[in-house]
Amino acid sequence: MRIRTVTMLGIALITVGACSGSAATTSPASASAAPASASAAPASASAAPASASAKNYKLTLIQGVKGDPFYVTMGCGAQAEATKEGATLNITGGDTWDATVQTPIVDSVTASKPDGVMIAPNDGKAMFAPLKAMNDAGVKVTLVDTGLDDLSFAQSFITSDNLGGGKLAATALAQLIGDKGTVAVISTNPGDSTVAARVKGFYDELTKNHPNITALPIQYDKDDPTVATTITTSTLAAHPDLIGIFATNVQTAEGVATGLRQATNTSVKTIAFDAGPKQITDLNSGLVQALIAQDPYTIGVDGVQQTILALNGQPTTKAIQTDLAIITKDNVNDPAMQKFLYKSACN
Amino acid sequence: MNGTIGEPALTSPADRPDAPVHAAESTGRSLWRQLMGSNTAWIFVVLLVLVAIFSAMKPGNFPTEFNIRAIATNASVLLIIAVGETFVIITAGIDLSVGYVLLFSGVAAAETMAAFGDPTNKGWDVILLGLLVALASGLAWGILNGFLIAKAKVPALIVTLGTLGMAWGLAEILSNGQDVRYIPRELATIGVGRFFAVPWLVILAAVVAIAGAILLNMTKFGRYTIGIGSNQEAARRAGINVERHLIKVYALSGLLAGLGGFLALAYFTTTTISGHANDNLNAIAAVVIGGTSLFGGVGTVIGTAIGVFIPAVLQSGFIIIGIQSFWQNVAVGAVLIGAVFVDQLRRRSRERR
Repeated sequence: MRIRTVTMLGIALITVGACSGSAATTSPASASAAPASASAAPASASAAPASASAKNYKLTLIQGVKGDPFYVTMGCGAQAEATKEGATLNITGGDTWDATVQTPIVDSVTASKPDGVMIAPNDGKAMFAPLKAMNDAGVKVTLVDTGLDDLSFAQSFITSDNLGGGKLAATALAQLIGDKGTVAVISTNPGDSTVAARVKGFYDELTKNHPNITALPIQYDKDDPTVATTITTSTLAAHPDLIGIFATNVQTAEGVATGLRQATNTSVKTIAFDAGPKQITDLNSGLVQALIAQDPYTIGVDGVQQTILALNGQPTTKAIQTDLAIITKDNVNDPAMQKFLYKSACN
Repeated sequence: MNGTIGEPALTSPADRPDAPVHAAESTGRSLWRQLMGSNTAWIFVVLLVLVAIFSAMKPGNFPTEFNIRAIATNASVLLIIAVGETFVIITAGIDLSVGYVLLFSGVAAAETMAAFGDPTNKGWDVILLGLLVALASGLAWGILNGFLIAKAKVPALIVTLGTLGMAWGLAEILSNGQDVRYIPRELATIGVGRFFAVPWLVILAAVVAIAGAILLNMTKFGRYTIGIGSNQEAARRAGINVERHLIKVYALSGLLAGLGGFLALAYFTTTTISGHANDNLNAIAAVVIGGTSLFGGVGTVIGTAIGVFIPAVLQSGFIIIGIQSFWQNVAVGAVLIGAVFVDQLRRRSRERR
């Protein structure tokens, strides 16, 4: 009995320890949130968050997934802008790109009563209800990167011109493969509005302007690099004449590069969306020929800006499209391109 | 008391069943002593401690109506499949297929309902049909699992791993890889609707849990389940048709996964094909944290309910107090190991007696 008591208390203590011990973590986002929570305890009984004079707004960024360099860079931009405007920023996200994982996170963030939230919803339809509830609770909601089918309550929707990006990818890939041959498209999830736009832009451009290129039907990897690797090797096996691959995001691009390396294939030209650290390495080593880079840093900055505008009662820009750039081995070191290269950690 | 299991004469003390039901009957231990001796009581204390800590740290945010409702609603579908998983694990089996049986059932139901004319404007008859399709799908997968495990004698881990993949693949084939995004409006209102401030989803999950608890503790079905889990051979010799019973247990797990799939459809208003990867492990973790032994013969539904809420409370609390959410994984893993460790201590101390 005594051993059991001690062990049970031990479990409780471990979990408490995990709570309090990690309050001292050095990640900038949680460090800024921890002191805020200590002082907020007595103040939490007070009224509505957006009092006119309070410039110290409490903001939260809900990433599409944790750990993805695209969202890490977005967080860096958001953090920089938040610090500039005197707001505190908390960053959180799910382990996987999954609306069933993101929903409890959204609900918990709503319960934490921030002033504004920037979020990349995992599904344009499934996330509508929890985000509407967040909006109804008085939180200003801004959508970054991915959107909702119904944008009625969003303060702003900031994303890259994904349709244009897909078109750009098609043009660049066509050029790389000599405007003829078989190409494959590997994307993440059917419910993701962002990649859907890229894919549409890609297929439309090929159909319109590149009749000699055969595009295979799209395949999905659920945003899992290991699945992308398997898809790549299987597609190569099924279509030995495969000459090009379009990977629609960072995770997919990583998996495709691994698959090509595994197959020791050097004739397939790959064009990938996103320029994470690993993609840059692959670009330099020749595994990937071109990258369509977004500007997640600016998306993060704009997200915070629009949210604070909304909180200050000023008009917001409902739709913002950020720039894209084609990165190749030739221009990857240009100073003008540096801002398009994603980071895996801020600074 | 026909059909109950006699004391197994040919087994080691470690296998002796110790379910509260038997203890109360044979030794007349008081309720208090039973509670003190049970894992469930202690894991409930852990839950209370967590709730107390988070509430103390963020009194305006954590213990609010909104947050309690959100935690309960988000835990509902998991609770439903965890109840089914409880029965399976009590028989010393395992069901890894629940997440994708859930998905398949949801997809089957959604496709069925979508096949009847106008996508969003459906009558309750179509919704009822969708429910029946979901339940039938879940039941079918469960029976398949049970048959392969009980009759073909393929280990449960392998069978359910196999059906996991098959259900997932078939769900994607059925839906063509695209989420079915048109759910009847009336069904969506169940997903988010409430009955006197309590969400329908929570009510339904509570009903399933209570029914499961009654089934486990007060019916022959429950006794047989526990008996088979403690000592399958003794149960067989006592005259229980073990194979038929195991099929029923896995069928139940599948049925509840089907129900879960239908309710997830109502809640998310889409089939969420890209999700459900960890539903099975979350259900198993909940069951084990709640005090059910992986080695069979011991378990309660109330324990599973507590086990479902501990990770949910941890996640919500961590986000509200602003802690990096990676810690949540660490904490849940630690609690899981702790729970099984305590179960092992219990078994060993019983041996010494």
